[in-house]
Amino acid sequence: MPDAHADQDWRAWFADHGARLRLIARQWTRSDADADDVVQEAFVRFWKHQRHLPGDPNALVVTSIRRAALDLLRRTDRRGVREKAVAAETETVAWFEPEADPRLQALAQALPLLPAEQREVVVLKVWGALTFEQIGEQLQLSPNTAASRWRYAMEALRKLITARVHD
Amino acid sequence: MTDSDHDFERALADLRPRPPGPALTAALARELDPPVSRRGVVIAWTAGLTTAAAALAFGLFLGAAPEEGAPAYQLVRAEQSPVEIEVLRPVRLEDGSFARPVRARWENTTQWEDPRTRTRFINYRPSEQTTLLPLETY
Repeated sequence: MPDAHADQDWRAWFADHGARLRLIARQWTRSDADADDVVQEAFVRFWKHQRHLPGDPNALVVTSIRRAALDLLRRTDRRGVREKAVAAETETVAWFEPEADPRLQALAQALPLLPAEQREVVVLKVWGALTFEQIGEQLQLSPNTAASRWRYAMEALRKLITARVHD
Repeated sequence: MTDSDHDFERALADLRPRPPGPALTAALARELDPPVSRRGVVIAWTAGLTTAAAALAFGLFLGAAPEEGAPAYQLVRAEQSPVEIEVLRPVRLEDGSFARPVRARWENTTQWEDPRTRTRFINYRPSEQTTLLPLETY
């Protein structure tokens, strides 16, 4: 990740990283619109107040996203169960750009089918570029548990893709 | 972690997450871009009466015979910024129908300069227009 400590233009930084930040936010939100709100709040906080702090800017911005997502979930938890169910069912927006490679297509379709606790580990590792130790800190897990969820996710992806190939 | 896991990780990394829409970038711009600086000698900031007053004053200024040593402004630049479109969340109207608000923002800047003193007269005019696009629901 480029150095966010330098006097860099936020537009350039966001153009490089906005897509993956949004995918990360999407793991902890109920819709694309909520993910946009979370990224907005988290990125503004990061850019104004945190990017000059010592440490890995990548981990800082992910922490900011998770905090904003949890705040949003708490604020909206009063909504009825029915509304949540409807939102989950009607959310059909693809997370990834279309791919010509059938294997990548299958992966893009399989990832959202993973259990949420496995999926968030995969997304934080691949697109968050975090280590299992950092993932553990984010999710309040031990690094071993994070690594274990990663292995389960890989196994599940393998099965899902094999099932799709045979369908 | 197995070699197969590494293959999967590499393949996953090849997937390209969808980029955020222009509405998110526009929202960030409102919070992160510095406020527009006040450039030049005179800035008229309004879309209505102040602009008209500035134009009238400038017209009178040009119409008067310049005294010796008085500034003689010439038009040097007139520009309009690209229109920034922001598509907002759908809203429900009083009649029960739905519509999506679309906000357009742009700026007009006109500059005159006195070549002798290099002083500038600048008229900066931000504009905003919001339109409702009806949505059909089934």
